Amino acid sequence: MTFKALKNLSKTCVAFGAVLSAMTWSVAPALAAGDLLVAPTRIVLDGQRGTEVILNNIGAETATYRISLELRRMTAQGRLEDVSEEDANELEKAAKAMIRYAPRRVTLPPNQPQAIRLGVRPPQGLADGEYRAHLLFRAIPKARSVTDTSRPAGGFTIALTPIYGVTIPVIIRQGNLKATAGIANGRMEENQNGQSFAFDLSRTGTRSTYGEIRITKPGADDPLLVARGIAVYPEIGQRKVSLPLPAEIAKQMNGPISVEYYEPNNVGGGLIAKTDMVLK
Amino acid sequence: MSKFIKAALASSVLAASVMGATAAHADTASADASANILQQVSVTNTADLDFATIVSAPTGSTVVVSSAGAVTCNGDLVCSGTATAAGFSVSGTTGETVDVDVDASVTLTNADGDTMSASLSPSVSTILLAGGDSFTVGGTLSVGADQADGAYSGSFDVDVDYQ
Repeated sequence: MTFKALKNLSKTCVAFGAVLSAMTWSVAPALAAGDLLVAPTRIVLDGQRGTEVILNNIGAETATYRISLELRRMTAQGRLEDVSEEDANELEKAAKAMIRYAPRRVTLPPNQPQAIRLGVRPPQGLADGEYRAHLLFRAIPKARSVTDTSRPAGGFTIALTPIYGVTIPVIIRQGNLKATAGIANGRMEENQNGQSFAFDLSRTGTRSTYGEIRITKPGADDPLLVARGIAVYPEIGQRKVSLPLPAEIAKQMNGPISVEYYEPNNVGGGLIAKTDMVLK
Repeated sequence: MSKFIKAALASSVLAASVMGATAAHADTASADASANILQQVSVTNTADLDFATIVSAPTGSTVVVSSAGAVTCNGDLVCSGTATAAGFSVSGTTGETVDVDVDASVTLTNADGDTMSASLSPSVSTILLAGGDSFTVGGTLSVGADQADGAYSGSFDVDVDYQ
């Protein structure tokens, strides 16, 4: 009798366990193959000879990722534009030649992180300056079957596969480099996604500037808006910065404001530039 | 390498428990702890760009899927099924600015080598990360006069750029 009760109990437990695991499965988000996590999001090597980047498969299936070194140039609009091998200048070629990284292709099961090792070997007599390339992490999509039996006669179906990924800059500094920045021409702009605050960020010197923008109303302790990760690269002297604003912040963007550009905390957090302006 | 990470995690847990034990007995104790916290970014694909089923017509025209996912069937083309815009979610450190970079156009090919092209338009070009951020990619498909039947496929690049 006791034994039978025990057996029943164990059956119940197994059934309950099965239900529980089924529930867990249905709760799990439907992630596509190729989803990825990359850390850190920016690399600056100022004297160091190497570092590591973590790539993690956060999708639900095993995926193969390709890691490549790309060249990008910043435009006056602040966008990063692809630069082909033929169009590369001496500075960009030098950057690409001195960065070594491995592995360049990895297959990872779900939730499996992989460290990508990155080393820099500057050639003898490298001229002072800032050298930069961008590491691109992308999943290689699984091949789809060409034969689609469900397609209706007299029509066509379309399968578009996005190949998506992340790029992070790899910056190598040689020598004692300096840069200053300036903020001007703050203005409100409007497009189909709502309002944004735009301004011109200028730069002079031998290296890029990088940091966060803080917009503060006079008398207020906390900034109205903080936008981190704003760079001006050495190939340009001025760029437009356009920050999309949530509606409740856009409402407060009038009258006198102060726009400040700070270095990130991990390199001192110093003030790079500050301008007071009055918005209409 | 992953073994190394696991080993490092395991040893840090061990170190923490040892340090905890020491602190309970000693009156004064000092210990150095270090951790390298990295900022991370993750990108997930939540929906594909799908023009559903289209029946071709004697004159060429276009089918537009807006970045909001609304479909517009122009000319004499007949569209059926549910069309969707491609969807992506991005997560990273709050306040960080990221750019969205999408191919301007994509060429689609069927098994017989017939082609079509589509222009692509992302819903945003810059995201100020605030948690739970996402963007979509819509497109305009140019269908030729009496476009050949078949299953067309193509791929396009979508990058999240850090400056």
